[in-house]
Amino acid sequence: MARVKFLCDADRCIECNACVTACKNEHDVPWGINRRRVVTINDGKPGERSVSMACMHCTDAPCAAVCPVSCFYTTADAVVLHSKDLCIGCGYCFYACPFGAPQYPKVGNFGSRGKMDKCTYCAGGPEADLTSAEYVKYGSNRLAEGKLPICAEMCSTKSLLAGDGDIIASIYKERVMKRGYGSGAWGWKTAYKETIAS
Amino acid sequence: MTKSPETMPSGAAATEKPAAGLDRRGFFRVGGAAAVVAAAAVVPATEDAQASETASERTKARYRETEHVKNFYRVNRY
Amino acid sequence: MLTKRRDATSGRARLQGFAAGLASGVLDRRSFLRRSGLAAGGAAALGTLSLGSVRKAKAGPMQPGVAVEIKKNICTHCSVGCTVIAEVQNGVWVGQEPAWDSPINRGSHCAKGASVRELVHGDRRLKYPMKLVNGEWTRIGWDQAISEIGDKMTEIRQKSGADSVYLLGSAKFSNEGAYLFRKFAAFWGTNSVDHQARICHSTTVAGVANTWGYGAQTNSYNDIRNSKTIIFMGSNAAEAHPVSLQHVLTGKETNRANMIVLDPRFTRTAAHATEYVRFRSGTDIAVIWGMLHHIFANGWEDKTFIEQRVYGMDQIKAEVAKWTPAEVERVSGIPGEQLKKVAETFAKQRPSTFIWCMGGTQHTVGTANVRAYCNLLLATGNVGVFGGGANIFRGHCNVQGATDLGLDITTLPLYYGLVEGAWKHWARVWEVDYEYFQSRFDEVPAKGGRPARTRKENMETPGIPSTRWFDATLSDPEDVDQRDALKAMVIFGHGGNTVPRMPEMVKGLEKLELLVVADPHPTTFAAISGRKNGTYLLPICTQFETSGSRSASNRSIQWGEQVVKPIFESKDDYEVIYRLSEKLGFAEQMFKNIKVENKRPVPEDLLREINRGGFSTGYSGQSPERLKAHMRNQDKFDLVTLRAKADVAEVGGDYYGLPWPCWGTPAIKHPGTHTLYNTNLHVKDGGGTFRARFGVVYAEKQPDGTSKNVNLLAEGSYSLGSELTDGYPEFTYGVLKKLGWDKDLTEAEVATITKIGGANPDAVGWAIDLSGGIIRVALDHGCIPFGNGKARAVAWNLPDPVPVHREPIYSSRPELVGQYPTRPDGRQFRMANIGLSVQKAAVDKGFAKSFPIILTSGRLVEYEGGGEETRSNRWLAELQQDMFVEVNPADAAERGIADGSFVWVTGPENNSKARVKALVTDRVGRGVAFMPFHFAGAFQGVDQRGNYPKGTDPIVLGESVNTITTYGYDPVTGMHEGKVTLCQIRAA
Repeated sequence: MARVKFLCDADRCIECNACVTACKNEHDVPWGINRRRVVTINDGKPGERSVSMACMHCTDAPCAAVCPVSCFYTTADAVVLHSKDLCIGCGYCFYACPFGAPQYPKVGNFGSRGKMDKCTYCAGGPEADLTSAEYVKYGSNRLAEGKLPICAEMCSTKSLLAGDGDIIASIYKERVMKRGYGSGAWGWKTAYKETIAS
Repeated sequence: MTKSPETMPSGAAATEKPAAGLDRRGFFRVGGAAAVVAAAAVVPATEDAQASETASERTKARYRETEHVKNFYRVNRY
Repeated sequence: MLTKRRDATSGRARLQGFAAGLASGVLDRRSFLRRSGLAAGGAAALGTLSLGSVRKAKAGPMQPGVAVEIKKNICTHCSVGCTVIAEVQNGVWVGQEPAWDSPINRGSHCAKGASVRELVHGDRRLKYPMKLVNGEWTRIGWDQAISEIGDKMTEIRQKSGADSVYLLGSAKFSNEGAYLFRKFAAFWGTNSVDHQARICHSTTVAGVANTWGYGAQTNSYNDIRNSKTIIFMGSNAAEAHPVSLQHVLTGKETNRANMIVLDPRFTRTAAHATEYVRFRSGTDIAVIWGMLHHIFANGWEDKTFIEQRVYGMDQIKAEVAKWTPAEVERVSGIPGEQLKKVAETFAKQRPSTFIWCMGGTQHTVGTANVRAYCNLLLATGNVGVFGGGANIFRGHCNVQGATDLGLDITTLPLYYGLVEGAWKHWARVWEVDYEYFQSRFDEVPAKGGRPARTRKENMETPGIPSTRWFDATLSDPEDVDQRDALKAMVIFGHGGNTVPRMPEMVKGLEKLELLVVADPHPTTFAAISGRKNGTYLLPICTQFETSGSRSASNRSIQWGEQVVKPIFESKDDYEVIYRLSEKLGFAEQMFKNIKVENKRPVPEDLLREINRGGFSTGYSGQSPERLKAHMRNQDKFDLVTLRAKADVAEVGGDYYGLPWPCWGTPAIKHPGTHTLYNTNLHVKDGGGTFRARFGVVYAEKQPDGTSKNVNLLAEGSYSLGSELTDGYPEFTYGVLKKLGWDKDLTEAEVATITKIGGANPDAVGWAIDLSGGIIRVALDHGCIPFGNGKARAVAWNLPDPVPVHREPIYSSRPELVGQYPTRPDGRQFRMANIGLSVQKAAVDKGFAKSFPIILTSGRLVEYEGGGEETRSNRWLAELQQDMFVEVNPADAAERGIADGSFVWVTGPENNSKARVKALVTDRVGRGVAFMPFHFAGAFQGVDQRGNYPKGTDPIVLGESVNTITTYGYDPVTGMHEGKVTLCQIRAA
């Protein structure tokens, strides 16, 4: 059974934000919620690196662990989804997530932030596949259509990989070998005096 | 976020005694389920409200290696 | 962790919206509960979004069970030319899918391309024609708009002349639209017709064409996958051409290629480089000569290539000898050893390609800059080879096509120029008398001691560049070499905030008698001035709402299908130009060979007319049928060679998009030319030579005053399979006769040639032979029609035949101005160019001290051009909500400026000022600041949101960098100096 993952090849990410707007376009995500964002470290300095971040669909998802109403579930594809009907907007999943994936449509006062929204791996939610009801709440369900997340499909430099974890791992491995250096593995520059771009 | 006894999340203020009238905890006990149901009903359904998936339907695998997916892998390789 | 550019305003916006709904302004529990829908009773009056549903359910998303049509079009943003796949249901654009098959983008987009669906949803687009009446925007109908505009244009024509109306066209036109607009200008009777190339790559086109024949990208984005060394100089492709990086980075990985970025700013492109070189803005020539200094000193140049295919390298060597490492470092700031390493890598680790963009072109020495880049490529033998070449990244989606089709003050379509032969050629193609066109032009009286011009002379005189239209409006008419001052601007698809000296531009706008803005959005032109009347807004649809072809930067031509019909009352460019020409009385002649349906010219017919006349540039073979076949068969083209296998149906053997030159008529099925000037290929496989454009011999002046005839034809170099194994001139009927190849012409072809030639058929050249026969025969003998000449390292017809370094007008190093002054004051394009006086005044007034920071400008990935369209796209606008200035930490500390705080940026002209946020970053070096040019809607501290017609103000507004930028024009093209001026910054 294929377990699907995201892998952002930080050597190629140029912070073009295609992944961000592709997601917005596909699911009509409103202003203020960004299911996917590009994070850049060392902005403007040598060593500047960008990586596209969204929900990582963790194997042992912290969000699911802390949810007081157990609205999360993991599919056989290893996608972590949740039910907006059950969600009470408590915000605990946001506190628990190391990636900041859960987002809320309202600024929380007195405990209600509205229904949590996050990247669904373009796999919809607990409404029936490919219905308007599913789209209105969760966005489109590309996985059910036999496609992959739109963010990865539209990445400008083929940096963001999505799909069967084994396959994208092998794609990435081929790249690492072709480049001839570790992807910033700690100590690489000391040992081999070779580095990634700056 | 200011905190006052009446505004704390219902789960936290377990020691509070319910005041007369419809306080928040009472509200949730009374209207809690209704609120959830009401919420669901208010969501504009553009079609017949299709039933949500059963537990096994939710978690079944959707990913499959279609031509589209193969194209994705192809353009990502060298 | 988040990049500094974005701040948390989105969170603030949410709060504002939330609290705004409270009557008391106080957050009390009851109102809170009411809003969150948990009020007693359960059923609350909710906004439909408040329960976290992702979107409102209305027309727009995919509807299950409804048939989906797939339409292919091309992204309307940059020149990479990414294919856009649109899913359409019931005439509504509901989704985008990746276009795996396109060899150019293979499904990829950048932030802009991934969000184009929103452009056609058009929340903030112009919906109907509008007219400014006493300061109020009033809705009017199309008929009334066209009628009033036509009447006013005619009135101005009668009072002041045709040249008093400026026709500013667009790089967003399709090829057919650009061609039609240029044709319109010819029928109107002016050469003041221009578009964004003026402010973008005008210096490139002039400089490169004057070096080796055509002024376009010689290779392609895909071909960079073959490169071993890639230099980016003044190009931030990671933000300006993101999808090009797909090819660049892959090539870098597979070839372990060197990626060297030279830029005053540590850009996102530099972040991926193997070597970054910081240098002072405006010193490109010093840097290139510095590189050549090492190359010649060490014998790293390609001597054979130079001997066979280049004229004048010795004169370059003489100039380069002055540029010792010490002098280069003094002027540009680059340490000697670093530049030597770069030079050695470029010369030795071949094939090497040189990529440049606005960083090189937007200078008073822009034309000289690009010629220096070309000379570096020529010296190292890196032109006409796979993986090499001048990979010039063009800007907008069809700036290449619009340039080719003649939206240029110096030429008619396809670079024929404005000479009598050019006009007669197009008169033949258009089947309209040459004398008619002559009659449409003004007679120009003598002014200020300068000679008068007859109608004929005027029709052969270039117009006014778009960078200086307001000078032609504001100056004393005696100083403007045309019948009268400029009185009207008719602007199609061009931003109002992308040209320097905006405070003066505003004055010019206010003085115009007529302003017409034809655009999907009102643009800065509509909002920035205090005009009260005489202004019309015409809603034009995007390229997604019409069909037509566009030329990507690599010269590939792609056909876009109409995705949806024009929204609201917008119309496409073809129809509006037709209606104007109908009103002005020349539609019948203008469209005699073009089918017009319901007042809309058919774009396929326009392309066919282009094919019939476009021999000079090889726009003759790309018929609508061939182009559409390419779009149907995108997956048949190889990723690196861009070629389809020979046995493939419909497109076998073609290069993707039939990149020009695609020689001869469509019938001979030339495959297009992927890499220009490539002698490794047969001409029928897209091979070629340098164009023999500058003559056969050159009478070179010698130091002793005598003249020596130098051979300008190639020596011992020729394309594969050429029957002529040495240099040869351009082909004419006479040349064919000399070779005995005229017997290969058909009777019909000879008849056409003799008809055109009249008394002198031998003089009929390949470019004006409407039969295409001369071209066909030359190709059959393995020869290229434009001859086999040498490239010129020295362009004797240009100011500074050998490029020399000249300080910018506003130089940060006044002590260098004496040694390297800008060119003397003179007159170009009908007006005075007083650059030297301005430079001298800047030194005398000590501006380098009072404005101690070098200000440069550039692009952001989220926005495009003037930004009115992209800042109206909510998905893009969210990502860049504030205009800003990048300030170095040391400069910021000195001025007490905190990151994210407001500052005033002031400039040395017009007491200009702009209030923007400071982004404190190491990207810019000490003494350098950067501002993006995409913003408008705030002007010198004043918000202008209210000036837009209701509902059309872009979501994000901001100050324009061109409020601060200053005087300075390249003498060859009128290009402005947007990349280097001076400013001061202080905390607000």
